[in-house]
Amino acid sequence: MQDVAYLIAAYAIAWLGLFVYLAVVAMRIRGVHTELAAVRELVHDQQKEKSLDEE
Amino acid sequence: MALTDHARGAELQGVIHQSESVAPGKPLATWILGGLSFVGIMLSIWMIFLYAPTELIEGQPQRIFYVHVPMSWIGMLAFGVLTLAGVGFLITRDERWDWAARASAEIGTVFITLALITGSIWGRTTWGTWWTWDPKLTATLILWFMYVAYLMLRSYMGRTTSSAYSGVVLSIVGVIDVPIIYLSVQWWRGLHPTAVTSTLPTAMLLTLMVSLISFTLLYCFFMVQIYQLEKLQTLAQRLRASLE
Repeated sequence: MQDVAYLIAAYAIAWLGLFVYLAVVAMRIRGVHTELAAVRELVHDQQKEKSLDEE
Repeated sequence: MALTDHARGAELQGVIHQSESVAPGKPLATWILGGLSFVGIMLSIWMIFLYAPTELIEGQPQRIFYVHVPMSWIGMLAFGVLTLAGVGFLITRDERWDWAARASAEIGTVFITLALITGSIWGRTTWGTWWTWDPKLTATLILWFMYVAYLMLRSYMGRTTSSAYSGVVLSIVGVIDVPIIYLSVQWWRGLHPTAVTSTLPTAMLLTLMVSLISFTLLYCFFMVQIYQLEKLQTLAQRLRASLE
């Protein structure tokens, strides 16, 4: 019975570890997409300001 | 000065264009590899618990072997890929090789950690101890330290060329440990079983092979994800730098 508990523990840790990692990766990708969009907008704003100054 | 400004402006336009060309959806490889690894893993779970026979001496805990062996394999494969990508960067100076190296290091760390944990649980049921300084186990622990050292070094030095070069040096030193892990059971007498697949019953061998292929596909799936992440992080960093 205890042997089965070890088997369950091993599989639970392995799959939980992989699922947690997958979730973390998905969140990081979403985060970097958001950050990229925000920085891109800031760059566009800066460029607009620059061109207005030049005019 | 005007020329420098012009060059900087052109470079900035290039980075903006690159960042805009990044598709918001997922690459096709994500769907293909994700789907294949999902199907493979479902099949291997069915085979592990319903198809493969119970080992006569070790009993149920022997089934840990079907997840422990593929995870150890990925741990070693990822370090090999990390070193090859590092050497690719040294030769070509193309940052895409460095993105691949960083991605492989991160994934390899996850897999080798899980391999050590599952191996430890298996050891508790078979050897009666969570850990022993067996040559194979010790060499695997050294590989884990190499991975952690690599990630810490790259994180501390940031996304610079010198960071990439330092990473290559560390990976070349670390990769020596990979064949040592594989051959340690032949070189030294230890507790760890030898990797003899020819004596395994067909059902066990088939289950192990399906599991190995599925985990390798999962590794490829993660590689695509982390590579994309590295690419996006580099672009974001460049755009941020252009604002300063």
